[in-house]
Amino acid sequence: MGFEPRIVGFLCNWCSYTGADLAGTSRIKYQPNVSIIRVMCSARIDPTFVLKALSMGADGVVICGCHPVDCHYISGNYKAMRRFPLLKKLLKEFGVEDERVRLEWVSASEGQRFSEVINDMTDKIRALGPSKIRVQLDADKVER
Amino acid sequence: MTTECKIGVYVCSCGTNIGKMVDCDAVTGYTKNLPGVAVCKSYKYMCSNPGQEMIVKDIQRYGLDRVVVAACSPRMHEPTFRAAISHGGLNPYYLEMANIREQCSWVHDDHQQATDKAKALTCAAVKRVPFHEPFDMQSVPMNSASLVIGGGVAGLTAALELADANQPVYLVEKDGKLGGNLARIDLTSPYLDSAKDLLAERICRVTKNPKITVMLNSEVESISGYVGNFKAQIKSNGEAVTDIEIGSIIVCTGFREFDASKVGEYGYGRFPNVVTSFDLEKMLKEGRVVMKDGKTPKYVTIINCVGSRSGKYNRYCSRVCCMTALKYANGIKSAAPDAFITNLYTDMNAFGKGCEDFYRRSAERDTIFMMFDKHAPPTVSAAGKGEHFNMLVKVNEILSGEEVEIPADMVVLMVGMEAREDSMNVARLVNISRDKDGWFIESHPKLDPVATSTDGVFIAGACASPKDIPDTVAQARATTARILAKICQGEIWVEPVYAEINEDLCSGCRVCNELCPYSAIDYDPVKKRSAIISVMCKSCGGCVAGCPSGAIKARHFTDKQIFEQIEGVLEWASSRA
Repeated sequence: MGFEPRIVGFLCNWCSYTGADLAGTSRIKYQPNVSIIRVMCSARIDPTFVLKALSMGADGVVICGCHPVDCHYISGNYKAMRRFPLLKKLLKEFGVEDERVRLEWVSASEGQRFSEVINDMTDKIRALGPSKIRVQLDADKVER
Repeated sequence: MTTECKIGVYVCSCGTNIGKMVDCDAVTGYTKNLPGVAVCKSYKYMCSNPGQEMIVKDIQRYGLDRVVVAACSPRMHEPTFRAAISHGGLNPYYLEMANIREQCSWVHDDHQQATDKAKALTCAAVKRVPFHEPFDMQSVPMNSASLVIGGGVAGLTAALELADANQPVYLVEKDGKLGGNLARIDLTSPYLDSAKDLLAERICRVTKNPKITVMLNSEVESISGYVGNFKAQIKSNGEAVTDIEIGSIIVCTGFREFDASKVGEYGYGRFPNVVTSFDLEKMLKEGRVVMKDGKTPKYVTIINCVGSRSGKYNRYCSRVCCMTALKYANGIKSAAPDAFITNLYTDMNAFGKGCEDFYRRSAERDTIFMMFDKHAPPTVSAAGKGEHFNMLVKVNEILSGEEVEIPADMVVLMVGMEAREDSMNVARLVNISRDKDGWFIESHPKLDPVATSTDGVFIAGACASPKDIPDTVAQARATTARILAKICQGEIWVEPVYAEINEDLCSGCRVCNELCPYSAIDYDPVKKRSAIISVMCKSCGGCVAGCPSGAIKARHFTDKQIFEQIEGVLEWASSRA
């Protein structure tokens, strides 16, 4: 089997996690490369979560929250939105390609959109190949 | 800590919902060797009585102190399994669920990959659960007063139901009178009883009831607080503001009708005698169905699904229009016995009690039914000069396969229901979600149809989706059953999941004070530390991620717990590589 990306998804409980559940109840198929971790709000996502996932060999990380104006916690998604560019700047310094880390808005009714986001991201990362950290981790393991 | 835990893992195959895509035995085979796992089993329905009892017995037999259930979404059965382990003697927060149905078996079509992902998700849960902490539910008082937003048939019914149980109600109506959309209607289908009769009694009882405060020309300005303890500001007549305290909120804001002028081919706004269903209601209420020139129409064509079931406008069915169209066929026949009535429909949805009989009776009264393809709707044009009728309706009748031209003096457009233009504002006000069409989303479409994602806020009637009167009334009453149950308990239990500040780590920088959308963080100038007011905290975790000192902990969503999950999903994957 060729390269299969490992992607970690952080989804807010109220919109995006519910949207991902809706994709399930609607039986909308998407690629199985994303494992989802639920948080209450996209504002809860500490940049270290993303760094941790990448340092553990994730090929990509997707953060999903409620659309602007639609946050269950009034303004949590705006906090995520403002923190995100800072994180991206840092990741760029580390040499992490732009496509690997994404912030997407998925509402509770957008099961279809969630599947499209995941498929698009999976395809793009598959084309990009494994992350440099993953390659290094795998090499270290072989050495040991 | 990890090695000392005794974790029980339960993998549900949900009949075949999970089992037919995920190899549950392979998941248990893998999971049972993970550190800390004392017992691991799969079963066809973990949520059933035998499934839950299996967990309860195992807790005692194996001395389990943590439980992982790999099954459906925690949004579905987390309360069920929390109750089960609680019954087994464990703190309910010692549970973690792995979502291997909605986010795995139902969305993937490769057995191996789905099974692999189920293993990764279960592994993440097993790694997370040792770091769970026990919490006790918090008890808060329940204010027995309720706020009902919207004075249509749903709001009136809900208000009466609560007032009859001796509980105070504030009924807020935007308009200058009660009755909502039902007040615009003449007769109701399928029994043709008068809407006025249904409403007059309700309105009379509401206005006379001392328990109900009716606030007309009023709007809710703001809402704060939480279940059992909300505060609201009501603005009346554009100025006077009243502050009220309530325990529950029922949203019954109804619907608006589809704007028929959007459908160019029907000529609404261009031809004076093309009218909407609500225009016709007005005529029926006045007791005379006439054209703009005052004459009685001889040929009437009723077109269904205007703005509904269409790729161009609204995709959904508005549910009430088919029967309303039949009501019009009957009504026009009574007002103008010589009228020649044609009903153009896409499908005849006669699903309610008494509706199929109503359809048959209407057909017997000489209404001509013609079916059209919803993708090829009929067109309305002006009749040629010298014709004895004023419009011509062309339709591809799909049962006969013929193109039919129908003379028309009046065309009635059965406009569908739409979410109100202010539904977004209302949703923001009470903090609930809307679906893609703007309807408010219920907690669970089948099992919890009137509750919402915000505890203490309920929805009833056509603000949640197109609905007929019986369903609207049933929902209104259902909301009050939910509220009265809480009032009877006297106090309510809220989740003890909130953020906490470690005073020893807090530098007193006050960054979190500004981050909190609920002003739930206070600064103590003497101690020079911030502290969270737990009942006001809604546990978003925005302050946790924002604290530069790492001094804030999100209960049940700690950094450690999330790190363990990240390791879980990735370790499993790399161990396989």
